[in-house]
Amino acid sequence: MRVSQTAPDPIDTSAAVETPEHVRFHHQLAGPARRAVAYIIDLVVRGAFILVLAIIILIAGAAAGADFRGLSSGILAVLYFAAEWLYYVLFESLWSGRSPGKKAMRLRVITDTGRPLHYLDSFLRNILRAADLLPNMYGLGLVVMGRDPKFRRLGDMVAGTIVVVEERGDITEPLRIYPIPSPFELSALPQRVPLSGDEIDALELYLRRLPKLHPARATELAEIVAPAFAKRLGVRFRGDARRFLELLYFRARERMAA
Amino acid sequence: MIPQDVFVAQRKNDWNELDILLSQEKELYAHDGPTISRIASLYRALCTDLVRAKSARYTPDLAGYLNGIAGRAHSALYGARPIRAFGISSLILREFPQSLRKNWRFFLLSTALFVIPWIVGQAGTMAEPSFAKQILPASQLEMMAQMYSKGFDEGRAAGLDAGMAGFYVMNNVGVAFRCFATGILFGLGSVFFLVYNGLTIGTVTGWVMNAGYGGNILTFMCGHAPFELTAILISGAAGMRMGYALVATKGRTRIGSLRESAREIAALIMGAAVMLLIAAGLEGFWSPSSLPPPVKWAASVVFTLGMTAFLLFAGRERKLA
Repeated sequence: MRVSQTAPDPIDTSAAVETPEHVRFHHQLAGPARRAVAYIIDLVVRGAFILVLAIIILIAGAAAGADFRGLSSGILAVLYFAAEWLYYVLFESLWSGRSPGKKAMRLRVITDTGRPLHYLDSFLRNILRAADLLPNMYGLGLVVMGRDPKFRRLGDMVAGTIVVVEERGDITEPLRIYPIPSPFELSALPQRVPLSGDEIDALELYLRRLPKLHPARATELAEIVAPAFAKRLGVRFRGDARRFLELLYFRARERMAA
Repeated sequence: MIPQDVFVAQRKNDWNELDILLSQEKELYAHDGPTISRIASLYRALCTDLVRAKSARYTPDLAGYLNGIAGRAHSALYGARPIRAFGISSLILREFPQSLRKNWRFFLLSTALFVIPWIVGQAGTMAEPSFAKQILPASQLEMMAQMYSKGFDEGRAAGLDAGMAGFYVMNNVGVAFRCFATGILFGLGSVFFLVYNGLTIGTVTGWVMNAGYGGNILTFMCGHAPFELTAILISGAAGMRMGYALVATKGRTRIGSLRESAREIAALIMGAAVMLLIAAGLEGFWSPSSLPPPVKWAASVVFTLGMTAFLLFAGRERKLA
């Protein structure tokens, strides 16, 4: 049994949450690009909302005569206000931290401790948009986000919120090594490979990415780590660094499965 | 320890079931009772699986997959709390005046930053009319004088009142929110908005009084101004409170210090928003009405006293004898 070490969280685009069940899991943080797309979707939704209601109100106003004109402009002004300031608060409060744009982009606002959003948090983070969008096009918000490890804009910092991605995943097949390592190839490796769990995970991440890497780049990456592993195992590896890592992974997994 | 393939085969159906339930994208309350408890128990089982997958060092992909479902299930199960009308009313009726009294220094500062430029603008304009043109374009000043030349003895068309009320909601609440939000820039934005608004309102008042319509503009303003101006001052105070939290961190991180003040700030700004809604209603319907000036002034006194009493005394803890 492995004793878990209390190491500090690695620098990564994720936020750890400890649940009431005392389980730690990680939310994947949303970056500026994805949030910008969600913002644009929300902008279109808000624009459409105002446009449709404006047409209805103007037609009704024209039909009802001059007396109604002032009233219809008043209603429009209130609607415009609602679309500018209340839209996000309303949706984030009713849809557990998601506006239509966020829902479409699979984003959700939660507090930075993983607790659900309170309406006051939503209220604060969305009023602070007035500061984030300065001087133009959310320039300040983007700079602040880029400098923050959790991608928070000013509104998120005041309200204590983060925006996370909720991607649907699939169960992947266990990694298979092709061609299947021959006993001759494996005979060059010791029976027991002293690799830590993190190292095996790193090897696996590398091997899973292989199809997406250019062969030359894949070899280049393998040649960085292969000599270090070979030295530790006290073996000499000849030739193909990539194959060496595959064998190493195979041997390590073989032992874990046994 | 069981091999990964066996583990996945054993538990896969439960994970799929939970994944499908979550993918319906329904809020939790939209499900029926048995489904909710099913989601909860599937979620707890999945949390256990996640821990097992991590400690058994199954492939990181599997832990990633379980982690993703756990996150989504957690967000669904512990989703946003409902907005309770009672919570909001107690926030406005108790917490708002409480935090205003607690932050009275900021309110005082914001009053000074607003009133002094007002006096400068008004006194400057009345002493030397060309002063006003340095601050606002002449055409705008003429328009304001024109607007108040008639007075409101005959009132306005009812439709126009509603239109103006809507405009005031949009404009004034927007100004207050901006005045507050830009306080995050170490308070500077709030200072700017307070000074700018004080100066322009003072200048306009001075210009209209020069033109001889002082009675009209003051009578128009007296009804809603107590609420509107006080709310702007409170927004500015909240903004500066926020900027101050960034500077005087008292040993915490800047963000920690901001978070500490967040609840007070939210109460202040919510209260200011409600006051501005009241003001917009008055400014749209009451202030331009044809009621005689003495009635408006008397009402203004009542409004001011009522508001002051509310801000000073509401939400105080009752002292036990």
